[in-house]
Amino acid sequence: MASVKLTKVKKVYDNKVVAVHDFDLDIKDKEFIVFVGPSGCGKSTTLRMVAGLEDISGGTVEIDGEVVNDLQPKDRGIAMVFQNYALYPHMTVYDNIAFSLRLQKVPEDVIYEKVTNAAEILGITDYLMRKPRALSGGQRQRVAIGRAMVRNSKVFLMDEPLSNLDAKLRNQMRAEIILLRQKLDTTFIYVTHDQTEAMTLGDRIVIMKDGYIQQVGTPTEVFEMPKNLFVAEFIGAPKMNIMRTELVAEGGKYFVTPFGAKIEVDGEKGKALAAKGQKSAAIDLGVRPEHIVLAKQGEGIPCVLEVNEMMGSELHLHVYTEDGTRLIVRVPTIGLDPAERESLVQGKKLFVTFEGKVMHFFDTESGENLLND
Amino acid sequence: MNKQESLAAERRRKTVLSIVLAVICIIYVLPVLSVVINSFKVNTFVKTDTFAIPTGEMWAGFSNFIKGMTFGNYPFWRSVTYSALITLVSTALILLFTSMAAWYIARVNSLLCKAIYYLCVFSMVVPFQMVMFTLSKTADSLRLNTPWTIPIVYLGFGAGLSIFMFVGFVKSIPLEIEEAASIDGCGPVRTYFSVVFPMLKPTMISVGILEIMWIWNDYLLPYLVLDINEYRTIPIHIQYLKGSYGTVDLGATMALILLSIIPVIIFYLICQKYIIKGVAAGAVKG
Repeated sequence: MASVKLTKVKKVYDNKVVAVHDFDLDIKDKEFIVFVGPSGCGKSTTLRMVAGLEDISGGTVEIDGEVVNDLQPKDRGIAMVFQNYALYPHMTVYDNIAFSLRLQKVPEDVIYEKVTNAAEILGITDYLMRKPRALSGGQRQRVAIGRAMVRNSKVFLMDEPLSNLDAKLRNQMRAEIILLRQKLDTTFIYVTHDQTEAMTLGDRIVIMKDGYIQQVGTPTEVFEMPKNLFVAEFIGAPKMNIMRTELVAEGGKYFVTPFGAKIEVDGEKGKALAAKGQKSAAIDLGVRPEHIVLAKQGEGIPCVLEVNEMMGSELHLHVYTEDGTRLIVRVPTIGLDPAERESLVQGKKLFVTFEGKVMHFFDTESGENLLND
Repeated sequence: MNKQESLAAERRRKTVLSIVLAVICIIYVLPVLSVVINSFKVNTFVKTDTFAIPTGEMWAGFSNFIKGMTFGNYPFWRSVTYSALITLVSTALILLFTSMAAWYIARVNSLLCKAIYYLCVFSMVVPFQMVMFTLSKTADSLRLNTPWTIPIVYLGFGAGLSIFMFVGFVKSIPLEIEEAASIDGCGPVRTYFSVVFPMLKPTMISVGILEIMWIWNDYLLPYLVLDINEYRTIPIHIQYLKGSYGTVDLGATMALILLSIIPVIIFYLICQKYIIKGVAAGAVKG
């Protein structure tokens, strides 16, 4: 259990490519923090710098108040789970888990107790005498987690641990990681490119792009108040719809005018804009697919249905507007009239609308959220 | 109709191929077979009835073997001992040092490592005959001319092929395994012996077999480097069966050749499945 503090951490490779720029982050004791971002955004590099597997080009990494920049990985009090499991292929599951303890010269009876304990928690007791090649992907990842568990480390690092598993197993393991976290009660740093994992697991999420932190916040914060267009589009599935439109200030009220419609920005969002003294301007308007609803004929934004994806509990309607902008609309199937559902076929003309309180406003040049502090 | 024709053509092609391959097999096996047959044949019949099965007056029993082993004033068991010593020590040195070097070369991405790697690969294409005289002189002056020190010369000559094979294999091992070891508490030496070395087993075996077969059968290098009055390996010992006036006891020679190839054949048969595995593992991923 420990806090982790990264101050102006930087990674520059030999070929002068900067992978991570001035990374500042305070991770509290027992916090579950998730680094998320697209491939090549520097999330794994940052994690590897915390682990000591990558040299730190600038700044400091502190674990439990101690600067660990020049410490060997084994002396940092960390445990790590890798994407491809990284089990020792020539050792049995038992020996894999016991390896680090044996290096620490822990007595065999203590090792036995710890290994069997971990195996029980992870449900791999039956496989302890098998070699890793005789296990499935999910079982291997459990062994890798077991190996990290027995080390009683201060910080638990996980580098895309579920990426190699199939979708069903990934969901199951995600739930198990949540339970594991409750049992271990230690500091976690978890790297993933999957925003669902980030949202479900993290106490706080660090969203990265091109080596820069885009936003740090709780899942609710980053979902409801994305700092910029990148975060807005990255978090949430399907991604947020973005429309280039006008924000019009008129008699103390604000309106947006997407595709000929005129929708009032009411509620908190309207008040916030007023408090900021926002003037009329061209903006990128963001609305999440689940916040767009089908409207009556002639009301809202006219568009044409292109693809109708049946997802089970909801439909994903891919529509395009008069100027060709594509939007995605999530329609729950439960409240849908069967006749109307049948009529949602390619080429059908629809009208969609949304409320003012669900809108997000971004600067057309910088992409920053207009309501940022 | 067309289908049947092509099937028949396919069958014909396979038959021809089988016959060609069978002939090649016979050509390969024939020398070994003639060694086996002639080692049990009376010397005078070896030249006249080379491929005849030894029966009746041709049958020499084990007399050729006894003659070969007791010939001259240099005991055969000493040759066997030196051959075994040189082969085993050299192979052990090659496996240990080149696998370590290959691990370093594969993992450290520096210009020096690349240069050493290509130097090793290049050394494979330099024929021994090109360097043998300077080598024997150097070996003499450095006192590498005894069975205990000649493994160092073999280490140098064997390094090229084995480093090439080991580097290919190490590159196919995920780096994360070694990183996991370093987090678990291993230093470089521990990582090598506890984690990397056991994973190299298939390549170890195939490199080991290739080196053992080469060193055990090698004639020229020990002949040039060793003091042959004092130290003789089996191939050198066999050569001494040649009489002073050009007479050769072929029966005894064949018997000793047979004795010398038996261990290699047994060893090869036991390990041959690893040879294919190891060579393929290095080659495909390298």
